[in-house]
Amino acid sequence: MRSLIIAVAVFAACLTGTLTFAQEGHPLKGSWLGTWGPAKTHPNDIVLVMDWDGKTISGMINPGTDDAPIKNATLNPDGWVVHFEADIKDKSGVLNYAFDGKIENLSFQNRTIVGTWKNQRESGQLKISRQ
Amino acid sequence: MSSTKSGVAIASALGTVLLLGTVISAHHPISAKFDDKKPQTLSGVVTLVDWRNPHVHIYMNVRSNNDSDNWAIELESPIDLQAGGWTHDSVKAGDAITVSGITARNGSRQLWATKIVMMGTGREVLNITPPSPPALLANRPTPRWPDKQPRLGPSAGGVQGYWAFPSSTVLAEATANVPPMDQYGLLKNVADAKRVAPFQPWALALYEYRQKRFLQDDPTYLNCKPPGGPRQFELSYGVQFVEDRDRQRIFVLIGGGNNNYRIIYLDGRGHQGQVGGDDDNPLYYGRAVGKWEADSLVVDTRGFNEDFWFTNGGLPHTEQLKLIEKFTRENFDTLKYEVTVDDPGAYTRPWSSSWTMRWVTGQEMPRHLCQENRP
Repeated sequence: MRSLIIAVAVFAACLTGTLTFAQEGHPLKGSWLGTWGPAKTHPNDIVLVMDWDGKTISGMINPGTDDAPIKNATLNPDGWVVHFEADIKDKSGVLNYAFDGKIENLSFQNRTIVGTWKNQRESGQLKISRQ
Repeated sequence: MSSTKSGVAIASALGTVLLLGTVISAHHPISAKFDDKKPQTLSGVVTLVDWRNPHVHIYMNVRSNNDSDNWAIELESPIDLQAGGWTHDSVKAGDAITVSGITARNGSRQLWATKIVMMGTGREVLNITPPSPPALLANRPTPRWPDKQPRLGPSAGGVQGYWAFPSSTVLAEATANVPPMDQYGLLKNVADAKRVAPFQPWALALYEYRQKRFLQDDPTYLNCKPPGGPRQFELSYGVQFVEDRDRQRIFVLIGGGNNNYRIIYLDGRGHQGQVGGDDDNPLYYGRAVGKWEADSLVVDTRGFNEDFWFTNGGLPHTEQLKLIEKFTRENFDTLKYEVTVDDPGAYTRPWSSSWTMRWVTGQEMPRHLCQENRP
């Protein structure tokens, strides 16, 4: 499973690497790639795709067969603080993940979100960069 | 304040006014890169004149103790310098010059020149006068096609021309309370940002962020991104309309946009793209369809991408942006531009703005080609 996720992440990186357009709209919109580990409950690589429809931030973690939609996503422009959650299946059931971070290098095409994640069992660091 | 100090203060203020006067035709905000609170005068020998867009640079060696430093002296674009009587030979490698101006915000050895004096003769060689619109000789009537529809170009058999000198180079909601900003859309007071348009919170914060960075992240100047949306009518090098009536379409040629053009279709089609072409891509200039309503051309444009700033000053937009633009040639020399911005992704409601442009007769529209990776 881990190798599959990595393969998907590498493929996404290659794909998005060819699409080096800037994105000047909503700061969260787009494809994000990074790490959210170390942890026992999930691989360390993460692909995140987010969108903005004018009212709601939506998105998907690791698009593919084991994807998980994000929910309760918010962006507080006062400090560019990001929060979102996702329910992700594990062998033992469904774990609720909460992600909290801040956007850094806002004006860059490859801006980053740096923060933390936690579920019922573990917690760790999150760092993803917009592709 | 002593008389000496007050004299210095007055001289400084006058210098600032003169400085502002000289940068008025620059095609991107000088304040994005240079700090008008850091004046400096340098003397040295020219090593290279780099005559390219978007700005000409003179490189010069300046003595510093027992060493010399190479400085980059930034000037206007070749178009503006040539309009002021300059050529690439006005200053040559080997010339000894004294340059006055303001230095870079980041502390690098770069200077925006406001005055250049040849050390050998004392002759001042940099004299850029901001261009002004041609004088209105009379209230000439709007030229029309045989079917009485207004023409957006020259009169039948008349000399060519183009539209320039916008009465406003910034986009702000048409209210009586528009906050003061410069010609690049840089607010005098960032706290006034919320008065510019009905922003969503994230869009207001992003607009303020861009303003606080003196618009230095503008993709039009960093990466030569096209000036889509109302911005194409805000730039100093003008626009030209070519009416292809046989095929019911109008080409808008954009002088400040890398020879870009935009097509407005009048044949009743929808906003679909060309199959196998741009059918699934959002575009810099969107997809525009228009129709004549009395004497006004009304254009509905949507399908924009998010890769550019759609106005001077850095107002955000999203792919949900829709524009209703209205072009009315009020008389031969005046074109009124009205725009309604409808972008529920970035604004809480539709809002409008307008300005006019002046007909420049007998001249070709300047050809400005952006060059990336220029300092």
